[in-house]
Amino acid sequence: MKIKVKLYTILKKYGKDMVDKDKNMSIPSNLTLKGLMSRLEIPKKMGKVLLVNGFPQDIEYELHEGDEVKILSFIGGG
Amino acid sequence: MYGYAGKQLRVYLDKKEIKAEDIDFDVMRKYLGGAGLCAKILYEELEKGVDPLSPENKLMFATSPLTSNRIPGGGSVILCFKSPLTNAWGESRCGGDFGPDLRKAGFDFVIIEGKAEEPVFIVINNGDVEFKPAGHLLGKTTSEKLSMIRNELNDRKISVMCIGPGGENLVKYATVMFDQRAAGRCGVGAVMGSKNLIAVAVKGSKEIKAAQPEKLKDAISDAMAVLRESEMAAGFKEHGTTGDMAPNDAAGDWPTKNWQSNHWGKAEKMYDDFFDKYLIKNHGCYRGCPIACGRIAEVKEGKFKTPVHEGSEYESLSAFTAFVLNDNLEAAIHATYLCNEYGIDTISAGAVIAFAMECYENGFIKQKDVGGMDLSWGSPDVLPELVRLISSREGIGDVLAEGVKIAAKKLGKGAEKYAVHGKGLEAPAHDPRSGKTLAVAYGTANRGCCHIHPLEAMAYDSGKLDWGMVKFGVPDPNEVDRWDEKGKGKMVKILQDGLVLPDILSTCKFFNYSGITLDHHAEMLSAMTGWEIDGFELMKIGERVINLQRMFNMREGFDREDDMIHERMKKLPAFGIYKDESRCGISDYEAMLDEYYDARGWDKKTGKPLKEKLAELEIEQVRA
Repeated sequence: MKIKVKLYTILKKYGKDMVDKDKNMSIPSNLTLKGLMSRLEIPKKMGKVLLVNGFPQDIEYELHEGDEVKILSFIGGG
Repeated sequence: MYGYAGKQLRVYLDKKEIKAEDIDFDVMRKYLGGAGLCAKILYEELEKGVDPLSPENKLMFATSPLTSNRIPGGGSVILCFKSPLTNAWGESRCGGDFGPDLRKAGFDFVIIEGKAEEPVFIVINNGDVEFKPAGHLLGKTTSEKLSMIRNELNDRKISVMCIGPGGENLVKYATVMFDQRAAGRCGVGAVMGSKNLIAVAVKGSKEIKAAQPEKLKDAISDAMAVLRESEMAAGFKEHGTTGDMAPNDAAGDWPTKNWQSNHWGKAEKMYDDFFDKYLIKNHGCYRGCPIACGRIAEVKEGKFKTPVHEGSEYESLSAFTAFVLNDNLEAAIHATYLCNEYGIDTISAGAVIAFAMECYENGFIKQKDVGGMDLSWGSPDVLPELVRLISSREGIGDVLAEGVKIAAKKLGKGAEKYAVHGKGLEAPAHDPRSGKTLAVAYGTANRGCCHIHPLEAMAYDSGKLDWGMVKFGVPDPNEVDRWDEKGKGKMVKILQDGLVLPDILSTCKFFNYSGITLDHHAEMLSAMTGWEIDGFELMKIGERVINLQRMFNMREGFDREDDMIHERMKKLPAFGIYKDESRCGISDYEAMLDEYYDARGWDKKTGKPLKEKLAELEIEQVRA
């Protein structure tokens, strides 16, 4: 299934091979945000905010077709 | 003599005299320098109740053995004083070469006393001090002053810190500028202005000797290796603190519309625009900085045009966007540029304008009070105009220049609910509704409601940074829920003790976000001074300093009642993506504060450090 993924500032590099320039990404169904971050190889021990369609969700959230995911991390910490 | 220049300089402005005093190494071992040494001197030498804008106040510039261009993070200076904004402990940091150059000029600390009869600036050059007339500098912007002073001294590179018209006009949150960096908070610029001291220039060629040069080389090398691998350091370089606008907004860490909400949703687009259209490059504030987080930007044309300049950090832009509900980025960049030129704190200025907008909305300020201006929320045109009025104390500017706490008193009963501050210091652009550790940090920071002196608590709760402090008893932040309240008071005590160290060492705190720990500092300090010092001793020194600054405040009449946070910080946001998130409200602040006092060894009712704690910390000057 297809979702959109926007990665911010210091996270940009993690999406290079899997997210195209229009932010599209193909994922298997039943993937959670936790699984998505694993696929993108984003380090676990890093403060992050995850927004899906503009709203904060926790890592167990199961993704749906067309979801727009934003993954943001902090530079100054928070 | 190792590590230190070895002398502190007293400047008696009224007599235009100086005294170079030997530093006491036993004192240095206990307080190190920076905000630590300043706490000791100002506690001992200032009388209770001194008027901060009187000649009796003292202003210190302080460094430490790690304040040096070759030490990672060593380009910084700490200014300490009694604050005219809060009447409490005043502390303000400025990044740049001034700190290292002061030590090259032969002094670890400067203590400015009295008041000059006529405006002066002083030049400290290899141990010699000259008093020079400064009448011709009055009214000039900070960049004009810098240029004029360098021309007069025939030295295009000499390090200069100066006040702007804001400081000359005793704006309660006036700054002291080093080029385009600010000693921003607590009104240090007004203290200088009240002393008729317009600028301080420093230069010299003294080489500070390290006790163990090879060990120092290794310690610096270790630190640099950590920095090279650090994603944070790379992030600071590419995006500055400004890069945190979007993540903070998303995390509910973006106080919006004078704290009515913790989220707006507009940061993402504004930051993308900033990065694409206005940012030119990064910039290091001190020669040799390996992080170089500064932003050089320009608004090329239009009514908010600016020259190429440094500024536009996270706090400054947030204060002139989210605080005031303004989404015109050019107006925000322009207004913050003006704050630097006039020498007033961007955070307090933005906060005061937000307060003014809410007062206007609710009838406390009428259109006739502001010369016909429309202070509706989000109006971009009023931002530069209000900055000008505040800096010159014209019209409504004279009231707003007092800060929100006093301005609210002047505007009438009911206005105080719009004045969001702690101990009189306007709250910055971080929201405890994104993570509860910040609530305690805001309530208890000695200089007032501050997000970074000493502790940037949201970096723990949201950013999941532990600064290498798990070994000192801080829980792994990845195991802690940002919205939990229990346990936060206890961990703030430990985090503050550790994170006050960069303020004591006068080193840049961003290095600690990038992986430099107390152990790295201890290694470098040992090598510089020859002392055998470790992270645990540094924690003890941090605790000692925080307690002494606390005693300073208690002597001035502050107690538990002043360790409060504003009601708006506790309530659910009025709008935004967290408005229905019940976990983000603060349900029992008093309990968090109780836990903090308990961890600190302070009296539960008053917050006063108990006798046993003062004895344990060997704070003899305080007769408990």
